[in-house]
Amino acid sequence: MLEGILFAMFAGVAIGCALGVVFHRNPVHCALLLVGVLLSLAGVFILLHAAFVAALQVIVYAGAIMVLFLFVVMLLNVKGETPLLTPGAAKGFGFLFGLIVATELLWTVLSPGGSEGGPFPAAALPAEFGSPAGLGMLLYTTWLYPFEIVSLLLLVAVVGAVVLAKRKFF
Amino acid sequence: MGTMPMVPLVWYQLLAAILFTIGVVGVLVRRSALVIFMSIELMLNAVNLSLIAFSRQHGGMEGHVFVFFVMAVAAAEVAIGLAILVAIFRNRETASVDDVHLLKG
Amino acid sequence: MDLAYLIEALVKVLIVLGFTLLGVPIIVWMERKVLGHMQDRIGPQRVGPFGLLQTIADGIKLFFKEDVVPSQVDKVMFAVAPAISVVTALAAMSVIPFGDHVTLFGRVIPLRITDVSIAILFLLGATSMGVYGIVLGGWSSNSKYPLLGALRSSAQMISYELAMGTALLPIILMTGSLSLLQIGRAQTHMWFIVPQIVAFVIYMICAVAETNRAPFDLAEAETELVAGFHTEFSSMRFALYYVSEYANIMVVSAVAITCFLGAWNGPFLPGWAWFLIKLVAFLFFYIWIRATFPRLRYDQLMTFGWKFLLPLALVNLAVTAVVLTVKG
Repeated sequence: MLEGILFAMFAGVAIGCALGVVFHRNPVHCALLLVGVLLSLAGVFILLHAAFVAALQVIVYAGAIMVLFLFVVMLLNVKGETPLLTPGAAKGFGFLFGLIVATELLWTVLSPGGSEGGPFPAAALPAEFGSPAGLGMLLYTTWLYPFEIVSLLLLVAVVGAVVLAKRKFF
Repeated sequence: MGTMPMVPLVWYQLLAAILFTIGVVGVLVRRSALVIFMSIELMLNAVNLSLIAFSRQHGGMEGHVFVFFVMAVAAAEVAIGLAILVAIFRNRETASVDDVHLLKG
Repeated sequence: MDLAYLIEALVKVLIVLGFTLLGVPIIVWMERKVLGHMQDRIGPQRVGPFGLLQTIADGIKLFFKEDVVPSQVDKVMFAVAPAISVVTALAAMSVIPFGDHVTLFGRVIPLRITDVSIAILFLLGATSMGVYGIVLGGWSSNSKYPLLGALRSSAQMISYELAMGTALLPIILMTGSLSLLQIGRAQTHMWFIVPQIVAFVIYMICAVAETNRAPFDLAEAETELVAGFHTEFSSMRFALYYVSEYANIMVVSAVAITCFLGAWNGPFLPGWAWFLIKLVAFLFFYIWIRATFPRLRYDQLMTFGWKFLLPLALVNLAVTAVVLTVKG
């Protein structure tokens, strides 16, 4: 029952902050509301026994990526734009498309086979579920090749970001 | 910890679906490039939630591995995307995607 | 989850909270006296015996000051920013083990609020969240100097977080666990500072940089940036930032003691007494560093963190991993 209350709390905060991100005027407030979404999702991850991923969410996503966002917003001093939403027919089409996506997703999730039926299996999880040890065992054996490629990707991203944002002095 | 949880899987998937939809609407409807980026991050997080919930369902940690990679790719994408935005902003003083239309026919 | 467990948890939370919040005035007094004597003068000596009540007098003064809120600030962020700093600093104290356990009223009470299996990650997460307190404080002030100070300060904090985490990794390798309790228990025979002296020095430097203390306090020094990110905060808001700075000092000192200096292990006295002794010694070392070194220029600071400390920490990690593998 405690889990139900916690889930309802985290879900409510996440949805409220997500709506705030999309419909708020000031970009700094949007970024902070997105941090709120990330932190409440970290709480939901802990409810799902994913301790290491929750910690990564806080340290990497909310603690580094969003700080980068905030730096850029603050340094560029981007004001809230007027009007808020794309004018005219594009706005209507945007909401309609959102409605279509929502309908598709709800149809899939709520169909009998969609969420593989009902509650979680009653079998106990392995002891190392969600821990860094469990993730490490998978990451460095089965998924070693994607791991090395992702580290190359991050190197490319670092070099690219430095090159793109550099002021060129001629 | 490890007792049967009270909240069935479908609620987690519903939460992920709602967050994903809000992200889609945000990308399509807002003009500011920064808020569009944030809506993309919202969609990525909804997908992460869905992956973790299914990983709990199956009892294996492959979902967590996938989420790890999604986070790394999201970090790279944010870095490059913001660098591009800074470069555009430096030239044009605007961060609105409606004003960057030089290629329009 | 019976009543006794709830009472025990509540009492422990109150004790740790009280310890942290009452420790702040004591650290401030200690700093002023020790700095004074190191600078060949006596510190506060009039208010109370040996100036012990000086910090309380300062607190009362801050309480009665006028709370000036400039007209163009972002009101919500202005109110929330100091709170974020304090909350993250206090939350980090919840996973620190103060001793092994004590037996009271027939119950074995572990001397920590909780022990999560990812305690070090929790601490790193709390430190990352603490950056927001500074960034939002500077931004919400809507003024040049606070913004510059906040951006410099937060860039410094996130840069040194990397080296700090990498310096803690060899400890985790040697223990095989991220839990601070296991790390403390693994040091009953030999403190980790002995094989990991390099990691200790790196952690020490990063801890001083993380808490924005001299010699890394360019972002909040009066001669440089007025007062940095907390320029526009007065009265109790400033007091909250002040408390959060010293609470952060306590947190990083407690982590250093747990990971490197043997946590609560020691010959005759009970565990928590040794913890307090080591904490006071570490705080004295902190203040000594402040009294000795000149301030670093900002680009020197960032160069040092990225181009020297981080590679050194990585090399240390690699060497530790190789040695542990070879030893079997």
